[in-house]
Amino acid sequence: MEDQVNGKTSEKYLNTTNIITEDCQRVDSYGFERSENVAHDAHDALMSEYLVVLKRRSTKWSKLLDGKAKVEKNQKVKRYVRKGVPNEHRTVIWMAASGAQQQLEENPGYYHSLLQTQSDTNLKEIIQADLHRTFPDNIQFRSSSDQCLQKALYNVLLAYGNHNKDVGYCQGMNFIAGYLLIITKDEEKSFWLLDTLLRRILPDYYTPAMLGLKADQEVLGELVKAKVPAVWQAMARHDVMWTLVVSRWFICLYIDILPVETVLRIWDCLFYEGSKILFRVALTLIRHLQPQILQAQSLPEICQCFKQITQGRFVEDCHTFMEKIFMEPGSLSMAVITKLRETCRERILAESGSHS
Amino acid sequence: MGSDEAYNFVFKVVLIGESGVGKSNLLSRFTKNEFNHDSRTTIGVEFSTRTVQLRGLTIKAQIWDTAGLERYRAITSAYYRGAVGALLVYDISKHLTYESAERWLKELYDHADPHIVVMLVGNKTDLASVRAVPTEDAKDFAEKNGLLFMETSALESTNVEAAFNNVLEEIHKKVSSKEVTRGSINAVSLSNPKSQSEESQEEKKPCCKNL
Repeated sequence: MEDQVNGKTSEKYLNTTNIITEDCQRVDSYGFERSENVAHDAHDALMSEYLVVLKRRSTKWSKLLDGKAKVEKNQKVKRYVRKGVPNEHRTVIWMAASGAQQQLEENPGYYHSLLQTQSDTNLKEIIQADLHRTFPDNIQFRSSSDQCLQKALYNVLLAYGNHNKDVGYCQGMNFIAGYLLIITKDEEKSFWLLDTLLRRILPDYYTPAMLGLKADQEVLGELVKAKVPAVWQAMARHDVMWTLVVSRWFICLYIDILPVETVLRIWDCLFYEGSKILFRVALTLIRHLQPQILQAQSLPEICQCFKQITQGRFVEDCHTFMEKIFMEPGSLSMAVITKLRETCRERILAESGSHS
Repeated sequence: MGSDEAYNFVFKVVLIGESGVGKSNLLSRFTKNEFNHDSRTTIGVEFSTRTVQLRGLTIKAQIWDTAGLERYRAITSAYYRGAVGALLVYDISKHLTYESAERWLKELYDHADPHIVVMLVGNKTDLASVRAVPTEDAKDFAEKNGLLFMETSALESTNVEAAFNNVLEEIHKKVSSKEVTRGSINAVSLSNPKSQSEESQEEKKPCCKNL
């Protein structure tokens, strides 16, 4: 095997960040400190296997793109995306597939003009308060770091708040924008990707009423009822509201729930195929958790099961995990999701109406 | 934190207050004796438990923590369900976080049991040099509103134990004096939802298991 996990070559396929090699034992290629609880040898073995996959994918992608920063939408590309976008092509693919590139090109200078606008003091303060609370375990976000991303994060979030007044700033967006900056290393691109996510790909998760988020939590409940009924019954028996266990899954798009590499693979599909992927991931995780959930004796124990999903081979082996999400939950059409979203939304509105 | 632990009561206590006042650190100081300078923004709902001895009784405190940002209240009504105690936290160095106490109190009484035990907590006394909220003001406000009051520092570990223990003790007083009506405040509902109607806040035998 030519590629070493921590060697120069691997950076090309994982992340092009210039994380100094001496830090490699401590931090991963995105700058995150490696958790002390993780079995590093097993993880490294997994990653070196994965690098072989990435190298193969990288060659295929380079051939497909042929130097262009464009991507057509067709079955072949969809298959390619599902098999993973190598990090060197990630920005280009995310930008092209999501429509963010088109937005950027049609609105030259717009991002920078937003930074010049007079911003609301309150908006500035709430964003400011979260800067040091965004990935404190990532060396790129430390204020002591040479090219600290905190300023870039502040700019992107502030510009976004000025741009989309309905949303302004909502906690969770700091983590999403943070990931976008780690990958694109470009404020303007991160801004347009964030906009595409919030306006086009996701329903209204982050608006003050968080209606889209509430609805999607219920949609997941309905899907679990149909596809993993035993879990649904256990949740009902212990009176666990879905929001208690899955709100972070949706709000943070699996950041901090799943390992970085796995999250990025999910986002590849999110930008290309849309929000349906979030349910595929959720259903796969819940199916995997089923034995523990069924054994749980109380609400806290159920919550604990949902917390424990963050580690272990099942979620770290991102390539296999991504294969599973397209197989295990079975068919899941966008038409079904759309219909469920409508039903759940109406139900929530009716309930809140009857309470007020 | 094992499920086979014997206890007399489970009390659910919620932490509320503006973003950045130190709710998560109060929780980790109390349940794990940890303080994290670089804690992450809390998203969604987190909880942690600690078992304490109080007047010869074993009390399992289940403390819930959530995001402080206003719009998260849209999804956190489930958070208040079954809560018998609350710590309404503000930052003594940021007056705005204190000013919002009234709003939080309303939010709490809108969703939680009317008999819930509430303590107003002025956190970050380690920042006394930049204090913006005089102790007397907060004390007066607490008295007027029938709240317990204490100032804490999760960083220096000052009064954190005392604050939580006070709240737990008050809850126990209410529960044992039956001041709270059956079914209204339900100290054991979290561990044993099925027995809600018969058992309610009846004291469980020390031999009881968390079934």
